[in-house]
Amino acid sequence: MSGKTDHCETPVTGATISRRGFVKTGGALFVSLALPLPFAVRTKAVDNPTSLDPALPASWLEIRCDNTIVARTGRTETGVGITGYYPQTIAEELNVRPETIRLIMGDTDRTPDGGFSAGFLTGMTNVRKVAAYTYQALLALAATQLGVPASSLTVTDGIVSGGGQKISYGELVRGQHLELRIPVRGALAKPDPTGWVGLASLDGLTVTGDPPMKSVSEFKVLGTSFPAGHIPDKITGKTQWSCDLTLPEMLHARMVRPATLGSTLLSLGTIDKKQFPTAEVVRKGNLLAVVSPNEWEAVQAALSVAGTTKWTEWSGLPGSDNVTKSIRAHTWEKPSESKGKAAETNAVLENATNKLSATYEQGYVRHAPIGPFVAVADVRSDGRVTIWTHSAQSQGLRARIAYMLGVPVDQVVVRWMDQSGQYGRTTLGGDGAEADAVIVSQLTGKPVRVQWTLQEDLTWSSVSPAWVSDITGVLDTNGHIVALHSAQYSPHMMDPRPIGALLAGMPCATSKPGHFVATEWVYDKIANRLEDAYGMANLAGDSPNGGLRGNIMRTPGQRQQNFALEGLINEAAAAAGADPIAYRLAHTTDERMINLLHATAKAANWETRPSPHAGAQRAGNNPLRGRGVCVMIRENAYWVGIAEVSVVPATGEVRATKFTIGGEPGKILNPRQLDRCMKSGVVMGLSEALKEEVTFANSKVTSTNWSRYKILTMEEMPEIQVVQVSRDDKGFGGGSEAANALVPPAMTAALFDATGVWARRVPLTPDYVKRLLAV
Amino acid sequence: MKSELTLSVNGEQQVVSVEQDMPLLFVLRNELKLTGPRMGCGMAECGACAVLLDGDEVRSCVTPVSYAAGKKVITIEGLPRVWAEQKQLSPDEASKTLHPVQQAWIDEQVPQCGYCQSGMMIVAVQLLAKNPNPSVDQIKDAFTNTPPSPHLCRCGTYAAIIDAVQRAAQAMKGAAR
Repeated sequence: MSGKTDHCETPVTGATISRRGFVKTGGALFVSLALPLPFAVRTKAVDNPTSLDPALPASWLEIRCDNTIVARTGRTETGVGITGYYPQTIAEELNVRPETIRLIMGDTDRTPDGGFSAGFLTGMTNVRKVAAYTYQALLALAATQLGVPASSLTVTDGIVSGGGQKISYGELVRGQHLELRIPVRGALAKPDPTGWVGLASLDGLTVTGDPPMKSVSEFKVLGTSFPAGHIPDKITGKTQWSCDLTLPEMLHARMVRPATLGSTLLSLGTIDKKQFPTAEVVRKGNLLAVVSPNEWEAVQAALSVAGTTKWTEWSGLPGSDNVTKSIRAHTWEKPSESKGKAAETNAVLENATNKLSATYEQGYVRHAPIGPFVAVADVRSDGRVTIWTHSAQSQGLRARIAYMLGVPVDQVVVRWMDQSGQYGRTTLGGDGAEADAVIVSQLTGKPVRVQWTLQEDLTWSSVSPAWVSDITGVLDTNGHIVALHSAQYSPHMMDPRPIGALLAGMPCATSKPGHFVATEWVYDKIANRLEDAYGMANLAGDSPNGGLRGNIMRTPGQRQQNFALEGLINEAAAAAGADPIAYRLAHTTDERMINLLHATAKAANWETRPSPHAGAQRAGNNPLRGRGVCVMIRENAYWVGIAEVSVVPATGEVRATKFTIGGEPGKILNPRQLDRCMKSGVVMGLSEALKEEVTFANSKVTSTNWSRYKILTMEEMPEIQVVQVSRDDKGFGGGSEAANALVPPAMTAALFDATGVWARRVPLTPDYVKRLLAV
Repeated sequence: MKSELTLSVNGEQQVVSVEQDMPLLFVLRNELKLTGPRMGCGMAECGACAVLLDGDEVRSCVTPVSYAAGKKVITIEGLPRVWAEQKQLSPDEASKTLHPVQQAWIDEQVPQCGYCQSGMMIVAVQLLAKNPNPSVDQIKDAFTNTPPSPHLCRCGTYAAIIDAVQRAAQAMKGAAR
């Protein structure tokens, strides 16, 4: 930078623009956070900052003189399309083409805001406001430059026109070093051992204020199927995934895990140095690893060490067949959370004569990524720690690792890279291979890459907990529900403690065994409702290694609670002799849900009639047909699922023959991406409805490969029909993860339609269905 | 015991000094820095590591490198060259042209996380070489029932894969000379 500094600061709609100086080459407008800082972020390591100071120029957005734009976000591409819709959002507010925007994602030292990828709406609002503030600043600059009022300017593709003149954004900033400061609040994630999940500020920073933004009806770029930017390099092989990273002197590590979920180390196995000359065993507590510069040597040597290592016996699990019994046996006290009207609902329930009650349940399921977890860590002798990973919560992970090591977060940098999808497992900043990699790097003094095996991932990673729900509806003389009470009991789903830290006996920011009500209420005509959620500790949580650590997974809580709620609605409709869609329409006045139910039913050629089907039966070798429906609201988005199934009673085989999914998330921001997410969500939901369950014996998990933890194959996928309803008057809503939650209740309703028998649990495996129909 | 082996990978001769029983996947990724094929289950149950060996899909995670010696190995990095040679494209055209399967995967926005898609594209190339106009059922069959296991996608992109295979089939037909 050279030339004079212009200290004059110009306020622009709540932000401040200033010229820091002139430059001989280049030039840019940088967007940073307004002072004063709400927290101390600047570290003493000025040359190697581990956190991008949001008050520094270039922390959020750079408008460059070559008419390109760099945007920085702590959120990451988890596969649902952020690399498409973030550029779209920024482009929309700036009036530029989205192709001109490059995203930097997830690195704690190169992005300002933190937050998790699950927070679609909050992250989206951040980038939208940053762009909107920047647009106003650019208009102000152009007004001065062109000598016309800002109100007379128009912008197309980054070119400002007014007073018969034109100037590009690049020209506006050329030769200058401009800075725009925008207001934010919040803090980056930090350890909070007293908090519910062991971390505070998982949302990161939030941009505040109300810069002028386009109304939804003015959107030109949002609403188009702009492609996601991460795709082409993944197709050609150019993407460097976290599993591809190599560093000088890096060691490959394979972990040697305890013999059971609760075993502790008795004696360490040995390495035959003749056979494996460069392999070494390292140990901290119950954490064992075999390292080698050569990955294949590490693999083989680890197998050999595992064969000669001795562990204590342990058997503290109830066995997966007894999960419900063991949840029931817990002494439950008061709910962790309740929603609705307790006094009124209880009063109606007490006096009611006509009630319908049911109990729904599900065993453990898990995220089960195709790529087992991999992470690289470099712990330097001066205490600096760098981690390369695909965690969806870089700042949270950083806080957890700092807590584990007992060092300030300033010493830890997390760099994000692409890798296999995790479906919520890393949203709370934990449960990956990062702690393993950090500990082994510390022990060896070298950069270390830890690659889990599939068996290890399916045994030791956290799980989406089993649950039981008791639900009761009070019916009026028409069979309509006038009051509803649900109580869900579950081991908690907020324990993402990294397994490496647990095994090594290092500090973990722990979580509390609570639970939460996640449903969003559709049925406003049910005057009284009470939803209670009860949480308990992990199964075998008092074992040395933490037991079955519960963690959130796609549509957490709501997926399970909606299964019970929509199950009861379907059962009540059948009891009333009503068509299940007509029955829902009779219980809501929500115009958005009513419209979507009609649109989806029409697309599915829904025949209005009660369930079960006239030809329903519970025996025989011939395939029976059935159909079922369910609905859900999530994050300002409305969903309807209609399943069609074929069931062979004699074999218990259930196949989905068609699934129609309707979605109305306000304005649809990227129709093709939403189409992809809706269809893939249905696939994941069918997988859960038909196949998935974590099995375990008293000592360990037994569903440890794809033959035992089965997921849906392509051949099992039915035709999936998508109905999208976009509207301009309701803002926009969450898009990517609701679809999977729609499937299980629609499938059990379709099974009932075909057979007249209710399944009140999933998965609908042939064994289970055969047993159910035989009763 | 390390041995010197000569491999043909993506049309180029490569000499590696490795143990004969080292899985081809480790040789491709760690010795030859071809990271398109990826480590999934390590036991031929998912397909993330699939490569073509003399035109047939194999799971490189369980294929000893010695088995690949003398055969032609193709990874996704080599697919553009396969297509360029098949169509006798000029060097200039070839440098700008992806294999139609890759182009279809981009045009149809197939990947979500994308981890399994390298293996998925390998199946598609093999399928379209044998059946240039596959039906939806034939596509499902190829991705599910070709030994040793179904190709698994946890994100659930199967519908997009079917769309992309059909798009690639059309493109390859259109490009026939």
